[in-house]
Formats: sequence, structure tokens, C-alpha cells
Amino acid sequence: MSGQYHRPHRWAWWTERPGYLRFMIRELTSVFMAGYLVVFVMTLASVGGGEAAFAEWIAALGSPAWMAAHVVALIAAVWHAVTFFGAVPQAMPVFLGERRLPGPVAQIVMGYGPWLTVSAVIVWWVVR
Amino acid sequence: MSNNGKITLEIFRYHPETDTEPRFQSYEVPYDEDWVVLDAINWIKDHIDGTVTHRWSCRMGVCGSCGMMVNGEPKLTCAAFLKDYHPRAVKVEPLVNFPVERDLVVSMDGFMDKLDAVKPYIIRDDVNDTSEGEYLQSPAELARYKQFSMCINCMLCYAACPVVGHEEEFLGPAALALGHRYNKDSRDQGQSERMEVMLSDEAMWGCTFVGECSVVCPKHVDPAGAIQQAKAMGAQEYFKGFVMPRGAGG
Repeated sequence: MSGQYHRPHRWAWWTERPGYLRFMIRELTSVFMAGYLVVFVMTLASVGGGEAAFAEWIAALGSPAWMAAHVVALIAAVWHAVTFFGAVPQAMPVFLGERRLPGPVAQIVMGYGPWLTVSAVIVWWVVR
Repeated sequence: MSNNGKITLEIFRYHPETDTEPRFQSYEVPYDEDWVVLDAINWIKDHIDGTVTHRWSCRMGVCGSCGMMVNGEPKLTCAAFLKDYHPRAVKVEPLVNFPVERDLVVSMDGFMDKLDAVKPYIIRDDVNDTSEGEYLQSPAELARYKQFSMCINCMLCYAACPVVGHEEEFLGPAALALGHRYNKDSRDQGQSERMEVMLSDEAMWGCTFVGECSVVCPKHVDPAGAIQQAKAMGAQEYFKGFVMPRGAGG
């Protein structure tokens, strides 16, 4: 139909609601996680380069700049994980007969519980 | 600003026969803490300016007709109380992400096409005669989709969704939630028909799970949840396609 008014696209749409901004921050955390993955691959590559190359790479990672980068990546990863688990009850509802498992319980059963369990196993495996 | 028992409404005006661009017009109306924004707009139309055009019907959050942007937030104006804004002015605009027909009225054509596309009704391969009675359903089966059946098609979720505004092919929150509602209905046998539409290109996958559709939904339908569940269902269908080629099943 003619005569309709179409609003222009808003390039700064993500500033219009706090929820949009939270979404963009969450998307941004993926960049840090991808960056950390590159570091991880570089670490594996240094292993391939022999014991000396690995030791040199690990020593380099101990620098303040690398430590700061790791802290930032960790914060981003934790934020990503927490928001991911927050979405679990919405995306994967669990029903017991007619009743739906309450959100916080579903987050523990399907998110935090397995996460902490796997983390504990990894910690045990590393420090045993 | 408002004073002495008055409140100002700034109304989005656009008359296609005379305007090329929209403008805002201010109206001062009596302030009553029991009034909702819709009451104030009706007062303007009845007492100040009969040319103000808006949609409304039930005034009780059931019909879904009076959705508008109230101070930038998608709201049912029959449920947006003036006391939550007073003494500040209230800015009322038509829902964003829709073409504007006139003043506060948006075109619903695209939305209706999207609703139609997901076949929001029960599809049966074998249709029983009415003499055979109802298709029975247990309370547990009802619980699987009941939340998604509460949608009143108010379109607030479309106004809250940034993807709707940027991706024309995206079917949008309400239509996808309704499609998922019928896919989850134990009486329905039309999931494959519906999924063919929902799984195409950006129809459903356009959703990036911003989640604001569920925040603004006045009926707590949680369309964002419905879409993520439908995506999981779609992914299952996709992988099933590898192990169970079409036509191999019963």
C-alpha cells in the first residue's frame, strides 16, 4: 500500500535498551574466547617445537601483559558461561509430568552441576 | 511537562495524504492516577482532536490491539498507567519495526503473512468424524505448549526484536512461538510441514537470542524460549535426516 511511513534503520539500535547492550557484550565475549583458543593452539604448536620452545612460550605467557590478557579472557569466559546457563531453562525446559522444573533448579541440574563436576575432575587430574 | 492535575502526551502524527514525514503533537490531558495511556489517548480523540488515529478494543489486555511505543518501550497502552510516568510527559509512537499507516496505527500485513506461514492450527493426517469425539490430551501433554498458546498477537515482541527490524525473512517471535506451540501439541501431526517453513534460510535461524521479545511480552509467552526450543527440534530433524533418509520411516 502506498503512503505508509517506514522508519529509517537505526544503526545504534543496540544502545536503545539495556537488554540489547547486554546481548552485544555477550556476543563480544566470544571474541575473547576465540582469542584464547588461538593462544591454546599456539601452546600446542610450541609443544610440537620441542621442550625448549615450549618452556620459552610458557615463560613468555608469564609476562604481565599476557597475565592481564588471561584475566580478561577468564572474565569474558565466565560471563559467557553464566549467561549461557541462564538461558538453559528457556531453551531446554524439563518437565516432570505437568510441572516444569523451576529455572534455578534447571540451571543447577543442567548447567552449574555438570560444569563444576567436570571442572573438579580436571583439577583432580592436573594436581594429583 | 505537566502540572495542576494535568499530564502531557506527545503523540506521533502521520497522515499519508498530507505528510511526507512524521511529527509529534503535544496534548495536555487531565491526570487521573487510575487512567492508563489508552484512556488519555481516547480523551484526546473525544475532547481535543478527533483526527488522532489509534487501534484499541477490549481495554483489558486481552485483544492485543493497543500496542504502542510508550516512552520508547513497547507496551499495551491499556496496561500502561499514567501514574508510572507522571509528572513527566508521555511520548506515544506506533510500534517500531512496522510500516506506519496513520498516526499510531501500523500495518499488520507482513505480520499476518508470517503468522499464516507457520500454519498455526492443528494439522491431522487422519481426521476423525465429530461423532468419534475429541482428540484427547493429558494435562502433562497440555503443559508442554500451554505457555505458548497464551499469545494475543499484540506484536510487542516484534517491536522489541532488533532482528525483525533488519531481516525481512525472519518470521519473528510471535509467529515462531505459535508454530512451536502447534509442533508441541500432542494432537497435531503437521510438524514436518511447519518445520519446512521454519527451517528455511533466516525464517527461524535469524534469531540471535537477544531475548527482549520475552521481556516485553505481556502474557509471559516467552517467545525467545520457544524459538530456541524450535531450533533444537530443527537441529534434531537435520541430524535425523542423515540416519533416517526421507520416506524410510513409517
